Amino acid sequence: MAKRPPIGNRIRELREQHDNMSQAALAEAIGVTRQTVIAIEQGRYSPSLESAFRISRVFGVGLEDVFSWLEPRDS
Amino acid sequence: MSFREKTAWAMGAILIAAGIWYFQRVIGLSEALGETAAPNMRFVIGYIILVILASILVNVIIASSAGKEAEAPADERERAILDKAGHWSGYVLAVGAVAGLWHFSWLHDGNLLFHIIFGALMASQIAEYAFQIFLFRRGV
Repeated sequence: MAKRPPIGNRIRELREQHDNMSQAALAEAIGVTRQTVIAIEQGRYSPSLESAFRISRVFGVGLEDVFSWLEPRDS
Repeated sequence: MSFREKTAWAMGAILIAAGIWYFQRVIGLSEALGETAAPNMRFVIGYIILVILASILVNVIIASSAGKEAEAPADERERAILDKAGHWSGYVLAVGAVAGLWHFSWLHDGNLLFHIIFGALMASQIAEYAFQIFLFRRGV
């Protein structure tokens, strides 16, 4: 399986806070497909910096309110 | 399933079916001759026409059900997937080409070289769609 990027996000939570914005609506707002929004939400794809900024602007928050760096867990 | 993933499944299936059709004829002819059959342009052109017509038909059917998605250009994730799949499929072609040359250096059979290289071209195209499906499902 492809290695997941160490980046977490709050996109689902932010969509719910914005009148339950659909994944399709967010996808259209930032100019990607719904499947790409799903992949970003699930952490299977790290968006480009441009798309990351577009997402944060749609929600009216800063980049780090949407995305966060996940520190590797000690095992 | 996205429009491009559906297209990849359909194109993969078309190329597999057309490849089987082509090699069944080449193997049948080779068995009848008792040696590797010479490249037959009727089979090659038949393969190309089969692939083109089936691709047009299937793409029209998929696009008509996909609506706006079919008209939109590939987004950044899809472009990354298409690039990576194309890159990996290049290795499949390279392995096939090296295998063909290796066989030629030992057997000096130019007909076999043609079939191996043509088969490698088919395999690399099929592999490209297979890699696309894998990356669409597992992430890029």
